[in-house]
Amino acid sequence: MEPDKASYRTVKVIGALLILEVIGLVFIGAFEFWQVRWGGLAFEDQPHDTVEVAVYALFLPSGVLTLMSAMSFLFMRRKGWHLAAIAQGLSLAVSLWLYSWFQPNYVYPIMAYCVIMILYLNSREVRVAFLPRQDREASYDA
Amino acid sequence: MTPDPETIALLRRFEPVIRSTRGDRFYPMDVEPYVKNCSLWVQRRGQEAVRVVPDGKLSLERLAQQPLDEPGAVHFLKLSDVEEMETDPDAGRLQVFRRHARDRKESREAFKAGRGRLARVGYLSRFVDALYSIALLARGRVPGESAAAATEAYERMMAEHENYRYHGRVLRQNGWIVLQYWLFYPFNNWRSGFFGANDHEADWEKVFVYLSESESGEVRPEWVAYAAHNYTGDNLRRRWDDPEVDKVGEHPVIYVGAGSHASYFAAGEYLTELTIPLPRPLERATRSIRSIWKTRLGQYVRNGDRSGYFSIPFVDYARGDGLTVGEGGDRAWDEPRLLDHPIPDWVSGYRGLWGLYARDPFEGEDAPAGPMYNRDKSVARAWYDPVGWAGLDKVPSPTEELRTILERREDIDSRCSDLRAEIEEKSRELKKLGVGIAAMRDRSHLDAPREEGTARAAGLSAEIDRLRARLATDETVSRSLEEYAGRLRAGERDPARAHIVRAHTPASEDELRVSRVAEFWAAVSVSLMIISFVVIALFEQRHLISMLVFSIAFFAFIEAGFRGRLVNLVVSANIGLAVVAALVLVYEFFWPLVVAAVLVVGIYILWDNLRELRR
Repeated sequence: MEPDKASYRTVKVIGALLILEVIGLVFIGAFEFWQVRWGGLAFEDQPHDTVEVAVYALFLPSGVLTLMSAMSFLFMRRKGWHLAAIAQGLSLAVSLWLYSWFQPNYVYPIMAYCVIMILYLNSREVRVAFLPRQDREASYDA
Repeated sequence: MTPDPETIALLRRFEPVIRSTRGDRFYPMDVEPYVKNCSLWVQRRGQEAVRVVPDGKLSLERLAQQPLDEPGAVHFLKLSDVEEMETDPDAGRLQVFRRHARDRKESREAFKAGRGRLARVGYLSRFVDALYSIALLARGRVPGESAAAATEAYERMMAEHENYRYHGRVLRQNGWIVLQYWLFYPFNNWRSGFFGANDHEADWEKVFVYLSESESGEVRPEWVAYAAHNYTGDNLRRRWDDPEVDKVGEHPVIYVGAGSHASYFAAGEYLTELTIPLPRPLERATRSIRSIWKTRLGQYVRNGDRSGYFSIPFVDYARGDGLTVGEGGDRAWDEPRLLDHPIPDWVSGYRGLWGLYARDPFEGEDAPAGPMYNRDKSVARAWYDPVGWAGLDKVPSPTEELRTILERREDIDSRCSDLRAEIEEKSRELKKLGVGIAAMRDRSHLDAPREEGTARAAGLSAEIDRLRARLATDETVSRSLEEYAGRLRAGERDPARAHIVRAHTPASEDELRVSRVAEFWAAVSVSLMIISFVVIALFEQRHLISMLVFSIAFFAFIEAGFRGRLVNLVVSANIGLAVVAALVLVYEFFWPLVVAAVLVVGIYILWDNLRELRR
């Protein structure tokens, strides 16, 4: 089901926030990448910082999913919410896993952004906009 | 004593039709042959149970002569004494064992459990269910071979004299004529026969029909109430014209739960959940967190979401495809045994249990007391207040209804007159106070009485406001009563199901359409998860946490897929991850976050003050 016109603004806000997240991820990735001198290093000799940058590639799937969900929001599809939620969960899971192993600095802003996005995606205003009609009516009775 | 023919005729006119489930072995019977086949025992506190009367020697007359009992002593009957079945106890056991095996085979052939008992609930419930089953080993329970022994005894009794009998009572209360049908089953084999919650010897079930009587003395059925698991008061009864009440002529049809003998209005499979509440402090904490989550953080909470409760699922199979007793059925009712005019001594005199006292702390495996008493020997409400038991005490009978409405309206109108007079008097007093205060204005030597007068005036004004509000409400109620009386005069009735808060409904087609794979998964998942945890703990100690998280995620994903709750899983997982991430951020950046919070507060105050200046 498509969101009604009243929730159009909410959908646009989420789409914009997701695109902002993708831009942020690309920017952090590029910044970290340029910090490392790649030439002439054997993999087993890589310093710790270089490994941290290499594992940044783990954000690639969640980044792609985030971009897809942002595109989906532009076309006002309900599935976009599911994609966005999965992308945020994936990003957060990767961040926490990297934090437990390397504690790279770049995970903190990603974590903070994902926490805010998860809360926003699960907010009543957003969830109601993307619920099937019968659930939406029921949720007003709560 | 000769039974009163009018009472018998009234009972027989509306006697229920019992539709049992295929595979059920016990049907309503007369208490006399049962008691004759029982022994009477007494269990005194801290002592072994002592047999007071051996089986074969007990009768209803003798049962009524229960001696005075000391505090904590429990008298009980025992039907299935395996060792008493033969002179050689071993031969008796062997006979029962053979019978048990035969019963199981016959039961398997006659009854197929519906799909989805465990598949209908989540992991926690399945886990608690497993714990409940394990706890049965430690709790007092009816021995495994008792069902077979009871079947043997029941068949023997039926071979001697086949009977299908209810125990009837007719009484008048609050303008209603109550027909009580007490159904006695020799054994409840819900657990051992139908995967239910409990087994116990003896089972007393009840069906009440409520009649109204016109001025000409003609009686008409108005309501019917059946005893059912987890339901009380208004939810127990249905109006006679409710389409849910199945009838054969003037006989209400009862669909009896297999083994449990609980009564239902419609055929089907009923999911009964035994709910175990959280400890009170934990429940309060959960409620507070949910409230903050929902109201302060504006987060979405699905309607009907429960938290903090474990529930054990059981299915009551009331399919109605077995033996039917009553009007138009496979068997007819025998003449009822009356429980009144006067109350038989065995009803009022015997306060003990009607079967084995298993000493189960949850009482589920203990036999019930008789129709008149609760297990704790107090008099049962269904006996002394059958109208209140079904929540009918607030409902006048049709002959009284209009009169009751008009009386209520008169009461309210009279109260309105009193209120109007009181308001008028107090308003006059308030006006006098008002002019007094006005006269004292700008008279500094009268400041004290003026302040006192102002306070009194404020109090009086508030009181008049309360009285006016009450008057307005009463006037509205009076008008509603007038309209209600008008509707009744026009022959209009309330909706038949308006009184029902929670109706017991059988499982829907969708719920029953659980795939075999989902059913298999539900049966093995808890054990698989426990085994996988043990394997990880033994062989993957280096990656213990991550492997545990991975395996939990794996099981949760499959489970959510089967139950169609992947969205819920994603939301729950996200919330969990967000909480952990938030804690990590607070841990890593505690002081910067404090500084940032203070800065934000400062900027907000600045912005708020500047905004005021701009106005």
